[in-house]
Parts: sequence; structure tokens; C-alpha cells
Amino acid sequence: MISLKNIVKTYGNKQVLKNLSVDFPDGKTTVILGPSGSGKSTLLRSLDLLVRPESGTLNFSDLKLDYSKPVSKKLSFDVRKKTSMVFQNWNLFPNLTVLKNITTAPETVLGKSKKETEERAHKLLAQVGLSEYADRYPSQLSGGQQQRISICRALAMDPEYILLDEPTSALDPELETQVLLILEELSKMGQAMIIVTHNMEFARSVADKIVFVEDGDILFDGSTDEFFNHPTTRIKDFLSGITFNEEK
Amino acid sequence: MWHTIVTSLPAMISAMLQYTIPLAIISFIFGLILAVLTALIKFIQPSENKLIKYPWLVLRAIANFYVWLFRSTPLLVQLFIIFFGLPSAGVQLSPFIAAVIGFSLNTGAYASETIRSALLSVPQDQWDAAFTLNFTTKQTLMKIVLPQAVRIALPPLSNSFIGLVKDTSLASSITILEMFQVSQQITAKNFQPLLMYSLAAFLYAVVCSLLTLLQHYLERRTSKYVKGSEA
Repeated sequence: MISLKNIVKTYGNKQVLKNLSVDFPDGKTTVILGPSGSGKSTLLRSLDLLVRPESGTLNFSDLKLDYSKPVSKKLSFDVRKKTSMVFQNWNLFPNLTVLKNITTAPETVLGKSKKETEERAHKLLAQVGLSEYADRYPSQLSGGQQQRISICRALAMDPEYILLDEPTSALDPELETQVLLILEELSKMGQAMIIVTHNMEFARSVADKIVFVEDGDILFDGSTDEFFNHPTTRIKDFLSGITFNEEK
Repeated sequence: MWHTIVTSLPAMISAMLQYTIPLAIISFIFGLILAVLTALIKFIQPSENKLIKYPWLVLRAIANFYVWLFRSTPLLVQLFIIFFGLPSAGVQLSPFIAAVIGFSLNTGAYASETIRSALLSVPQDQWDAAFTLNFTTKQTLMKIVLPQAVRIALPPLSNSFIGLVKDTSLASSITILEMFQVSQQITAKNFQPLLMYSLAAFLYAVVCSLLTLLQHYLERRTSKYVKGSEA
């Protein structure tokens, strides 16, 4: 389990995370919802140390990290080894082929053999239906295909948790669906995921747990059923505000 | 006219092969090494560890001073100081060595800014993606950032190299018998400055045209992953 306690993060004089505490259970899919600028991405990036909060603690199975103190290279490595991030704009390495995008990290960082990483990469590519693209470069692929490959790249590191930062926000609805189907499958297989998204249908169908963030505070932390079926007034407003409704 | 050209060409081409081209190539290689080191010293943020941080900041101050010095003074003056000036300080250099030192330091200063800007142009997103996969800074540089930066730096670095080939003509002023100096000597005998200097200009243009072809070839090779390029 990942457990964040009393996280504070400020940009300039704006506090984006206000003493926030939250747990992310093992093997489950947690979806983080909230309006733009609420601190969702900052929260997610803190887990992977791409953002350093000023204070707070991270408990990750046997690892303990205090954000207010210098983090050793070893601890930072161990935390990142348990997580892998999938980005809104996928951030594939344009200079490497699809196959190399997936194999370079396990080869370089985990010291696995070329044969082993390539076999794994081909398996992952088959899983996402992109076997024939192994030798292409990312620029020759559509956004949806690139995002599926970046999911393979994350999986190839065998992380305990995959962190997804608005993975489909830059995709059109058809490509978005292709990516969501893969995430749904991963969720069913028990891969722990933490997903920031604006897609409510998706959240409703895959999330085991919903965290609703606004202005750097957690306004809701509970089951998906409760969030959608017994919402508080603020959540009701949020849900109706993002639904297109002609009668309004 | 043809007679003059045919009789002077061998001496000029020989000077080109003996001095102009070696000076340019050797100086560019040293300059490039210096440029990469200088750019990395200025680009990489040192870790918080005090044993690394303070020496790094000293190195960075030296790098800044070096770039400032060589960009703020004329190349000809730099060559004069190294060849004619340094002996007064007890450092006697052969003309060729003095020229290589001058050209390398000058090229290195300009090229370091080219390389630094190429490094800066690789988006932060690439670093984030590499860090989430647990690459170290060094691994990220070697496998992800430098290969992308090389592609971006190629056109301006080609500018520097082509510029350097022509700047070697300044070596004539520190007694090196490079191509331009030879053309001056021949002119002194045959009194045909228009023809001789045009011939020298033509030979420089031939070398630079070949380099332009090399640039195009390298650009194609390093751009094969970019959309729209013919891989």
C-alpha cells in the first residue's frame, strides 16, 4: 500500500497541496478526479518524485520517505522502481524505435539481457495489438498507438503501481477508447493503478476507489459506488457541471 | 590565364592539403571536445552534495569566463597573443601548434553555446520520462538527450566548421604557409592579384561545398526518426 501523509506543496506563494493525506491500496485501481488546477497531477507526480513536496511522508510497503529531508539516491531509486508513470503526451523517446523505447530501461536500469527484454517487449506489444510496429519510430504512429506503447514501456519495468496522468486527454474519442480498453484489462488483472482522468464513464466502470481533489484538499475519499450514487452537494455540482445537458 | 592557373594550382592545393585542411580538422575536433565539456559544465545542475557542488560551481565560473573571453576578442588578436605574445612570458610555440590552440579555443567557445542550446531544446518531458524509468542523469544524457541534441546542433555546428575552414586563412599572419599565404606569394611574382585571389576563393568554396554535402548526409542520418524524413 502507498500511504501519503500531510503533504504540502507550494508553487511561488500558491499552496497546491494543503496538508493532504491519502492511501492507495495494493492491486486496486484508484481514480483521482477534480477540476483543472486542483493539484491532481502534482499529487501523482509526488509519488514518483518528479515533484518534491516541501513536507509530508510517503510510506510505500517497506519504504519510508520524508519529503522535507534530502532523499538518498538509493531511496529515490527504490521508490521509482515500484512505480512507473504514463504521461498525458506519452513522452516516448523519439530517437528510439518502438522496441527500444520498451527495452532500453529494463536493459540499462535493471541489467536484464537483450533477449529477455525483447521477448517481453514483443509479448507486451502483442497484448496491446501493436506487434507489427516494433521497428517503427514513434513519430510514424498515431497518438493512441503511442500511448499504448508508453503503457508497454511502463509495464516492462514491472512496477507495483502504474501512475497515469490524464492518459487520454490528448486523444480523440476513438483512440481514447482503444487506450481505455487496455487499462480496463489491466485493472481486471489486478495491476495496481492510480489514474488521473476527466472521463467519468471510465472512472465509474474501472475504479475501485475514488479520490476527489479540489484546491489542494481531498473532498472525497471512498468507494466508486458512494461517489456516483450518493454524492455530496459539491460532487453533484462537479458531476453535472461536466455533463453536457441541453436543458440547462 | 590558363597557364597561370595550371602552374599555380599544384602549390596552392599542396598548401591546402598540408595546412588549411589539417588545421581545420584538428582544431575542430579539439574545439568540439572543449565545446561539449563546456556545455555540459554549464548545463548540468550539480547535486546538493557539497563535495560535488562547490567544485562544480568553480568549474562553471571558469567555463563562463572562457566563453566570454574568446567571444569578446577578435580571432586575429587571439592568434597574435598566442604566437607573438606568449614567448615574452616564456612560452614558445611553433606556428602550427599556436594556430591549432587559437582555432580550437575560439571554435570551442562558440560551439559550446550551440551545444548548450541544443541540450536545452530537448523538452523537460523527456527527462521526466527517463527519470520515472529510473535512468540516472548520465544514462538519460547518453541514451536520450544527446542523440536528440546532436540532430538539432548539426546545422549550426556545420556553420562553425565551414567558418573555421575559411578562418584558417588568418594563420597566414602567424607565418604559416597555408593556401592564402601561398596565393599571396605567387601574386608577388606574377602580378595577377584578381586571378590569384579568385583562385584561392574558388578552392575555399570547393572545400566548403564538400562540407555542405557532408552536412546534408549527416542530417539525413540523424533525422531518420523525424516525421516526414525519408528513413
